[in-house]
Amino acid sequence: MDALLQQLLNGLTLGSIYGLVALGLTLVYGILHVPNFAHGALYMIGAYVAYYVAGELGASYWLAMIAAAIIVAALAVACERLVFHPLRHAPPIHDKIAAIGLLLFFEAVVQMYWGADFRRLEAPSSSIFYFAGLTLPAQRVLIIVAAFALMGALHLYLKKTLAGSTIIAMAQNREGAFLVGINANRVAMMTFAISGALAAVASTLFAPINLVYPAMGHLVLLKAFVIIILGGMGSIPGAIVGGLIIGFAEALGGFYISGDYKDIIAFALLVAILSIKPTGLFSQGVR
Amino acid sequence: MSCNTLINRFAGIGLAAAVTLAGTGAGLAAEVNIGFTGPLSGGAALYGQNTLEGLKMASAEINDSGGITVDGKSYDINLISLDDMYAPSRSAVNGKRLVQQYGAPVVFTPHSGGTFALQAFNERDNFLVMSYTSIPEVTAKGNKLTVKIPPNFTDYVEPFAETTMARFGPKLAIANATHDYAKYWTKAFVPAWKKAGGTVVADTPMDYNKSADFYTGVSKALAADPDVLFIGGASEPTGLVVRQARELGFEGGFVIMDQAKISEVARVAGGMDALEGAVGVAPLTYMDTEGAKSFIKLYGKNHDNVPTAETAYNYFAMYLLARAMETAGTVDDPKAIRAAFPKALKQVDPKHNPFAVTHMTDDGNLAIDVRIAEVTDGKVVITQGSDME
Repeated sequence: MDALLQQLLNGLTLGSIYGLVALGLTLVYGILHVPNFAHGALYMIGAYVAYYVAGELGASYWLAMIAAAIIVAALAVACERLVFHPLRHAPPIHDKIAAIGLLLFFEAVVQMYWGADFRRLEAPSSSIFYFAGLTLPAQRVLIIVAAFALMGALHLYLKKTLAGSTIIAMAQNREGAFLVGINANRVAMMTFAISGALAAVASTLFAPINLVYPAMGHLVLLKAFVIIILGGMGSIPGAIVGGLIIGFAEALGGFYISGDYKDIIAFALLVAILSIKPTGLFSQGVR
Repeated sequence: MSCNTLINRFAGIGLAAAVTLAGTGAGLAAEVNIGFTGPLSGGAALYGQNTLEGLKMASAEINDSGGITVDGKSYDINLISLDDMYAPSRSAVNGKRLVQQYGAPVVFTPHSGGTFALQAFNERDNFLVMSYTSIPEVTAKGNKLTVKIPPNFTDYVEPFAETTMARFGPKLAIANATHDYAKYWTKAFVPAWKKAGGTVVADTPMDYNKSADFYTGVSKALAADPDVLFIGGASEPTGLVVRQARELGFEGGFVIMDQAKISEVARVAGGMDALEGAVGVAPLTYMDTEGAKSFIKLYGKNHDNVPTAETAYNYFAMYLLARAMETAGTVDDPKAIRAAFPKALKQVDPKHNPFAVTHMTDDGNLAIDVRIAEVTDGKVVITQGSDME
């Protein structure tokens, strides 16, 4: 029983991080209509900015998180303006190539500046709670709480504010959005900024229980792709639920079946869900 | 461009080079290209960069002090490094390029996969493979143009098993990484553990490079209530495994594969206290040889971290190669260079030999008296293998 609860907790931690990254990816999908491969690089840069601000400048963890979110959001907007916006009339394959190029470029720049070393971002609190046979490090609690708070905030923003609803309108129907006078440039920039900030916060949350290194984005990005396919491309609840499904599948499958097969379990689940619902769990029918 | 014009062009360059050489006299040294193929990007980039750094440091020193002198003529080392991202298929392509395009007589590689890939054609294409890996098969297969730089990992297996079992007990859980090298270790370590009277209670290897989190794998290993955890992969992920095992309440010992370095593991794991009862390979910084001290000093001049064993070993290997070329009296005959290695070993200045490599087997394996590090009362205690018998 303890073991089951512990694994559920692990799944929840992983799922929250995956969900946050997938959320950013799915939002941008609404604009680009291709998966943004550069999202993994934004995630990685977020961790490095936090590492720099907290580790090298000695600021607090929270300040580092805010700095990471702002800087990565700005970087994401710059990507949109300088790369994706000029490509808006090009075939989708060009966006895809540009995104992969950005990913490689950012990784190379970070490796040039910081080297390939593994680095550690210290957690704001290293205390560990034990109760009823469960081990609960403070950072893991923080991840879960912060991730769900952010998801909630994002939901409110998209549903309850005018700016938020323009993002949804763009994702649902581009022409329709233009017809009612939505400024496409503003919405695109806003979407990239939100997605960048989400990636940065996710990596800053996760870095203290993991490591910071130039290739750290690949791992999470691959999972995030699976999640948005699973949840339905462009769907926000899909990204959250998909993230949790993959997180739980990894934790429970890794524990009860075999650590060797935990990725296979996640991907088998993907195949199974897609064969029943080919457009993903929460697809809105917008292609 | 036809093949002929290409050859002409090369001949032209050669002629031009010869003319320049003659014109400036002895002031311009000739060059010998030495190849390197290893992971310089991707998850294993740090490891690859560390090995390359050792080679670079030695080449720079050798070139500054007049290069390699063969028959009164001096050659500067021109190190050409190509990235293979840890993939053997790329190592093979890089090897071909280094030999055909750059005419390198020697290719360094810091991984077993790359070594095996290069060994598929190195005797035919006539180049020497300098392999930084501790898998015995690399030299045991009888390749005539291979030198293996570090000792066999199997030398560590028995002392590791005996030390930890005596201190903590006979129940072992396997929680090391899943790459080839880790599997070699498991295959050698488990029989040694059983031979010493132990049992294996859990077998849960984890992908150290692709796991976002180790809580699941570690808690599964700990569910079997082991006395000792067998762990290891790259140092930093290994440190995470140790940290998470302690968080989850594990109080036993660790056997750490030689790929991970105890001092680096400790930095991530939360200090030496977290590593209490761990055994592993002795870190360079705890070596008391003249070579280790001078190497650490040299490294400290241009770096702000402490050097790793792989940097030190490759630094030594480049010196050894230079001396072998001098002893053999050639920079472009790999067979003669290979034959000169045992003699050249005695020519290497002790201050360039941090691990005090003493001899070399006929099949090309460099050997040392292995040193084992055990963490006792929060301190690293070094035992020499020959003292344990």
